[in-house]
Amino acid sequence: MAQVSMIPEPCRILEVHRETAKEVHFVLEAPKQAPFQPEPGQFVMVSLPGIGEAPISLAGLPGEGTAENAIELLVRKAGRLTTLVTRLAVGDTLYVRGPYGRRVGWEQFEGSNLLLIAGGLGLAPLRPFVRRALLRRDQFRHIDILAGARSPEELLFRDELLAWKARRDDVRVLVTVDAASDGWGGRIGVITTLFDNVHPDTEDAVAVICGPPVMYRHAIRKLLAMGFYENRVWLTLERRMKCGIGLCGNCQMSGLYLCQQGPLFSYREVRHLKEAV
Amino acid sequence: MEHEIYRFPRGRLDALVERLGREFRVVAPVKKADQHVWEEVRPGAPIALDYPTTMLPPRQFFAPQREVLFRFTGSDGLYRFEEPPVERPLALLGVHGCDLTGLRVMRSFHESSCRDRVVTDRLDQSFVVGLACWVPCLAEAFCRDMGSLENEIPADLYLWDLGETLLVKVLKPRGRAVLADVSALEAATADELVLLRRRVRARHEAFPTHLKFPPAKLPVALEAAEADILWDANADRCLSCGRCNLVCPTCTCFDVQDIATLDGSSGSRVRSWHGCQLPGFSKVAGGHDFRPTRTQQLRYRIFRKGKYMPERYGMVGCTGCGRCHKHCPTHISIRDIFRQVGGPA
Repeated sequence: MAQVSMIPEPCRILEVHRETAKEVHFVLEAPKQAPFQPEPGQFVMVSLPGIGEAPISLAGLPGEGTAENAIELLVRKAGRLTTLVTRLAVGDTLYVRGPYGRRVGWEQFEGSNLLLIAGGLGLAPLRPFVRRALLRRDQFRHIDILAGARSPEELLFRDELLAWKARRDDVRVLVTVDAASDGWGGRIGVITTLFDNVHPDTEDAVAVICGPPVMYRHAIRKLLAMGFYENRVWLTLERRMKCGIGLCGNCQMSGLYLCQQGPLFSYREVRHLKEAV
Repeated sequence: MEHEIYRFPRGRLDALVERLGREFRVVAPVKKADQHVWEEVRPGAPIALDYPTTMLPPRQFFAPQREVLFRFTGSDGLYRFEEPPVERPLALLGVHGCDLTGLRVMRSFHESSCRDRVVTDRLDQSFVVGLACWVPCLAEAFCRDMGSLENEIPADLYLWDLGETLLVKVLKPRGRAVLADVSALEAATADELVLLRRRVRARHEAFPTHLKFPPAKLPVALEAAEADILWDANADRCLSCGRCNLVCPTCTCFDVQDIATLDGSSGSRVRSWHGCQLPGFSKVAGGHDFRPTRTQQLRYRIFRKGKYMPERYGMVGCTGCGRCHKHCPTHISIRDIFRQVGGPA
């Protein structure tokens, strides 16, 4: 009944990839009732009737590395709903409404250098940025992707990271893990240790960060020291959400509703807020 | 424009309830045990026009404590959805200034960014009869400071109980139409209008002022006091029980849960009142809490009422009704907090 209905649409699951012990990657039909044209950084509300509903970032947008009329989601087993969702198989149905969140406008991310920084699960919401940037490669000079995970076992989208890495001239991909296990030949250390390898031209550069709360303060400080402008460092923030449409109040951060004014913010917009991360 | 003010024979109250009942679900204050509550009434019901503020404000009828968003039926993971039928519109009889203000704030909230049509339709379609207050009904109230005492919006009709007589002011055309159906539209006499003016003036002595600054200054005052120790001092007493949220006429936050049969074949998605003072309100999947301390939570509630709401919706989110203070088990007073952030007089 709300002007924006809270009734979800059934969306059939087309592919299931078990990424890690805790995370499952789904390709599913996009909602059809209204034109579904999400932007990078937006999210959907995902539910199973009788179980509940939760906000999930879009990890793949229709027609941008994902099939037309399909979307991708990465779901981490955390509560009852997500645990049951991770047990679903191809042909099962998820209930989806959206897309929700601010439409920042792609022109905000254009520039000579694009730096994408993903910690852990943060790679999922950043994936649409990477894919769109690679589709529109001529808009950028350098593209750097920094991805960190706690351990090699928790690294997401490994094949895709390798595929991006293989496009040597197009994009630089650097991966690090906090703690290595046997057989890991890559870098070890927190994600900020990768920053020294980034293209140093920050005059016309944009950074987008998504990761666990603890990552933000360090990453931002380092980016500003490198010369990034405050309004060209973008963060995706996280909050509890129950409606996605600015009503339930759960996601309010100071005067802002994350579901509407966010979850993507420039650092300039939120730097003065105490409870941002 | 002079408003039309008519005499309203006390004996016609039942006729008014009957008339409104033809179109609306009529709710009015009724005494229950040692309290007054808002309750659906029929002609003959003992409506208490001399009631003190109810524990729950009328928002319970516009955004009910529990409300079905939609029902679902299905099997094998495939469901059909159905929204609940629209109920009869509401008529509220005898709403004090604080709760009229509460309805205004509710509208300003629901008219912003995303319109919750369920709630705005209920507000649009409701018929409201306001009622003037002569004495503060709660020691904790500060309605005069917050501009609620004199507020008559969004009433269709507004009543003054002068003892011998009731006078009624027509604020909207449909108010006049309803009134004409139940009384003779006999204009108040000159003597009655003089008496009314005197009573309204005298009312200011009964309602002392508590704040030394207008509510419009709250956003700036709060911002300046963000680091003040008063938040810790008050939060030390807070039990995180959430009563202040539940009794507030301007709280709107809700939780959403699915209630289903054991086999999952049918059920409903239900929203129910939530509160920023309750533990876990700001906790996300994985356990991180963005507002973990009571100090942060309490400051958030007060900032939402006094700063975020006026900045976002154009109206201060506190009506001065005094409910949160009265029902707080440790008597945390939003009035004292406002007074403190306002600095010395």
